[in-house]
Amino acid sequence: MRSTGNDIVALALVNKQRTSQFRFYSKILSVSEQKLYHQPELQQLPFENYVWLLWSVKESAYKYLKRLDPTLIFSPTNIIIQHIVIPGLSFDESVAAQWESTCEDAGLYSGKVVHGPHTLYFRAKINEAWIASVVNDDECFDHVCWGVKSIDNAGYKYQSLEARLALINKLNGFLQGDLRIEKSSVGYPVIVNYDEETGVPASLAHDGYFVAYSFVLSSDIVLT
Amino acid sequence: MDRKTILTELKKVLAPYTENKEMLDGINEDTDLIRDLKINSANLVDIIIDAESTYNIEIDFDSADRMYKVGSCIDVIIEKMNQSA
Repeated sequence: MRSTGNDIVALALVNKQRTSQFRFYSKILSVSEQKLYHQPELQQLPFENYVWLLWSVKESAYKYLKRLDPTLIFSPTNIIIQHIVIPGLSFDESVAAQWESTCEDAGLYSGKVVHGPHTLYFRAKINEAWIASVVNDDECFDHVCWGVKSIDNAGYKYQSLEARLALINKLNGFLQGDLRIEKSSVGYPVIVNYDEETGVPASLAHDGYFVAYSFVLSSDIVLT
Repeated sequence: MDRKTILTELKKVLAPYTENKEMLDGINEDTDLIRDLKINSANLVDIIIDAESTYNIEIDFDSADRMYKVGSCIDVIIEKMNQSA
């Protein structure tokens, strides 16, 4: 079964002071992840961003795995980030109203995340406004399409609607027909075309004034 | 402290993190924090920390994993209060 999982954290909503408290971050980071931050390459990343980067990746991994195991409970410290590769480009200060993944993006964090017998890989982007992440079961993300869009209203219903709209708009570039999104009994989005499930795994996320999506294209379509 | 009193206090802990105030007023032990109250999962740790302060308890990793429904939150709070008594 193919799957995908994504997440977004709006940094304006992050309480930096609370995040830096041990009793807070120790409920998100495992002991090994607390040690991982001390590697020299990661020191350029503010600690609060490190904590929320890992949170985001863990959420993404949880969403990916929940599709495979509907009984799974989100347990952040049991989803372990084992390895982080820092992007070649320096910190991206630009915050575009819309961002979409490309294969050539050199500004992405990447790495490996493990939960029990499952090994997944992640990509993540950080700028001044948000941290977005996506996971895949393969180190190659050529078929994984993900993006972020800013919205005007942070109300829950509006966020949900805008996230769905962003996903459908992007999917329309690859699939023709009458696409719509239904919700599985577990809660993940199901892409339907003319009342038939497309089998395209998709994931949605929203936080504050940002929505995000991911989906996995079939092997005959490669993201450019 | 009985379950009803804890539930009343828990509403105050949850209030800053949900915009669904109508649902918050009517919560019961089956209410799901994410699905029903539309609380962003990124706030779950905030809720656990606030509950620790409110009830003067410490909630460990394993117990935190159970705090998705109001009823299981109350179970964890009672368990931890009894441990620290």
